[in-house]
Amino acid sequence: MSDFHGIIFAYGSVPELGELVRNRTASSLPFCGRYRLIDFALSSLMNAGIHDVGVIMQRDYQSLLDHLGSGKDWDMGRRLGGLRMLPPFGLPEYHQGDYTGTIEALNAVSTYIRGLSAKYIVMLHGNTAANLDLRAAIEQHLRSGAEITAICTESTPDYRHHRYIADPDGFARRIVFNQTEAGEGVASLEAYIISKDLLVGMMDACAANSHYHFHRDAIAEYLAAGGKINVYLHRGYGKRIMNTEAYFRTGMDMLRPENRAELFPPERPVRSKSHADVSTYYGENSVCRNSLVADGCLIEGEVENCVLFSDVRVSRGAKLKNCILMRGCVVGEGVILNNVIADKEVGVSPYQTLMGSAKLPIVIPKKSKI
Amino acid sequence: MKKSCIAMLLAGGQGSRLYALTQDVAKPNMPFGGKYRIIDFPLSNCANSGIDTVGVLTQYRPLQLNSYIGGGQPWDLDSTDGGVFILPPYQTAGEAGSWFSGTANAIYQNISFIEMYDPDNVLILSGDHIYKMDYSKMLREHIEKDAACTIAVLQVSMEDATRFGIMNVGADGYVSEFEEKPKQPKSDLASMGIYIFNWKKLRKYLIEDENDPNSSKDFGKNIIPNMLNAGEKLWPYRFDGYWRDVGTITSLWDANMDMLSTTLINLFDPSWPIRSRSIPRPPHYVGEDAKVVHSIVTEGCVIEGEVENSVLSSSAKVGKGAKVLYSVLMPGAVVEDNAVVEYSILGENTVVKSGAHVGAPPDGSDAWGVATCGPNIEIRQGAEVPAGAMIYKSEEV
Repeated sequence: MSDFHGIIFAYGSVPELGELVRNRTASSLPFCGRYRLIDFALSSLMNAGIHDVGVIMQRDYQSLLDHLGSGKDWDMGRRLGGLRMLPPFGLPEYHQGDYTGTIEALNAVSTYIRGLSAKYIVMLHGNTAANLDLRAAIEQHLRSGAEITAICTESTPDYRHHRYIADPDGFARRIVFNQTEAGEGVASLEAYIISKDLLVGMMDACAANSHYHFHRDAIAEYLAAGGKINVYLHRGYGKRIMNTEAYFRTGMDMLRPENRAELFPPERPVRSKSHADVSTYYGENSVCRNSLVADGCLIEGEVENCVLFSDVRVSRGAKLKNCILMRGCVVGEGVILNNVIADKEVGVSPYQTLMGSAKLPIVIPKKSKI
Repeated sequence: MKKSCIAMLLAGGQGSRLYALTQDVAKPNMPFGGKYRIIDFPLSNCANSGIDTVGVLTQYRPLQLNSYIGGGQPWDLDSTDGGVFILPPYQTAGEAGSWFSGTANAIYQNISFIEMYDPDNVLILSGDHIYKMDYSKMLREHIEKDAACTIAVLQVSMEDATRFGIMNVGADGYVSEFEEKPKQPKSDLASMGIYIFNWKKLRKYLIEDENDPNSSKDFGKNIIPNMLNAGEKLWPYRFDGYWRDVGTITSLWDANMDMLSTTLINLFDPSWPIRSRSIPRPPHYVGEDAKVVHSIVTEGCVIEGEVENSVLSSSAKVGKGAKVLYSVLMPGAVVEDNAVVEYSILGENTVVKSGAHVGAPPDGSDAWGVATCGPNIEIRQGAEVPAGAMIYKSEEV
């Protein structure tokens, strides 16, 4: 598979995620009890035998770097190739905020992209909760003879997205931008398999014209010039996480066995960095229902419809319902929490009550003490 | 590179008193306490004590143990000038080569490995003990007391003393006499099977013992008594924490149950982590109608039934209406809907089909015991496995 090289876009800060991304990028958001969102992109590549991967990052990437380490958790700690971190290199001084678009992000690391010996690039976004069967997608891409394959989903995302309209021959020659509802065509997961030469050509053309966007500029131009795009449909669970409510809802989605089965099929395991050195302990009076609990937790209280990351403590008499508690949270005696997202290492002192709603969950920032 | 102390871990024993559980794997590779294998305890103790070179002596069914230890990364034992080394018996030019014929012989056969590190001292460990111990403290005492050998000892009750190797201590604090399983013990200091030897001295005694045709080539039976008789200084290092030998079904079950008490041994202590190799699995899921009380549960488990006073290793499954009470489920064990498993140990990937019943609570009789099902077997639908049973194959039920 040395013909393929992975690129993961992990620069997006997604301001709609508010407090949750104050100290991290959307790609390093903790997810489903023991993962970070980028684990899905990394594992999808790993499971397709792609071990050479560049991760494009721009700011607030300490937590991401800490998580990725040498890449060995995804078999990407290689002597030759392997995982490469791609932070900005000499950004112009006037540049503020995120990269304007994907093409700008690629041009910021253009030396790296140009230097690749791979013939094809697999581009993924790091904030996508999807276990992609990239082996099947690559096979279809090669068979189709197209220069680009767009990986799409049949489901309708709840955020602004682009839709491809495929002709009966399976190739898309039209794209509609910024849709918010179901309509013609299928929704792009913004994951692509693309010939390296074509991509470099697109990067150059955009740079010459001060264009920054992959879809609005490069793809639109490619289609206008008569290009066709092969569409690969990902049939399992697939969501990009674009705001706090979606983060909460997607987290709660994981309590349903059918969603877990789609995200964690045995033939395509999801790898991650491992933290806890001990199993979870349930006390004499604990109650736990419909919940996901990672290793290293101590549960003495009541937990219902919750996702608990590792090393969470739930003291006696505490009642947690519809909550997501990240690693190292400590919940004191008699605490009542409803519809709460507690970021890492939050401490809640005894007999506090916090009630959010499903539409507007309360987010407790990292390391705060209540 | 010269080392102050390296460790030699005896992991070659068959563990024959674990019967069905060790028919395919070595005892040190036995899953334990949810997330661990038994060998994680001595390996983690080494790593936490700053001992960075560990030779693991394997002999019986080494395949799974070798792949579990691998390069030693989970224990940070993958350093450039040390690390963890699997040491199987081997042949040399012109000699037939032989199996390890005793604990002392196993070390004797690896003298050349030890000499590569030119150590001042060698720590001898067993692969079947559950405990947390800072070997660096023991080493410090060993050096201070200028001992030829320091033996870790545990204070036990006088009744228990008859089951152990007992150290009698003289007025100067040094060991004056060693008795193996004495009928009338004179002391309550039991050997834990953990020794630090001055390497030059040990080397001499190993070679002498090897040349003695009547020797059983064992540390407890030969080396220690020989050293005592020769007037060497043997120092007892007193350890007062949790320590269990898990060589039998009952002791393995007991020690697993001990893990449910957070006071006997604290596995949550970040200053002394017991580390293990594990493939990440999704968090465990506890269903709508499930009940989990006073239990240990590990990643990848799915619990839809009732779990009480039990230890569940990774990816164990408990179906709807099923009950798991006072039991140990090893990785991948499955208890299907409406089955009952009580006072039992289920081996890796063993499936208890729906409606089957394994084990029974103690009835006060001598015949009662923990029911054990070996790995990779299937207990057929509706079957009854009585207390104390030992199941090797699916066909037995």
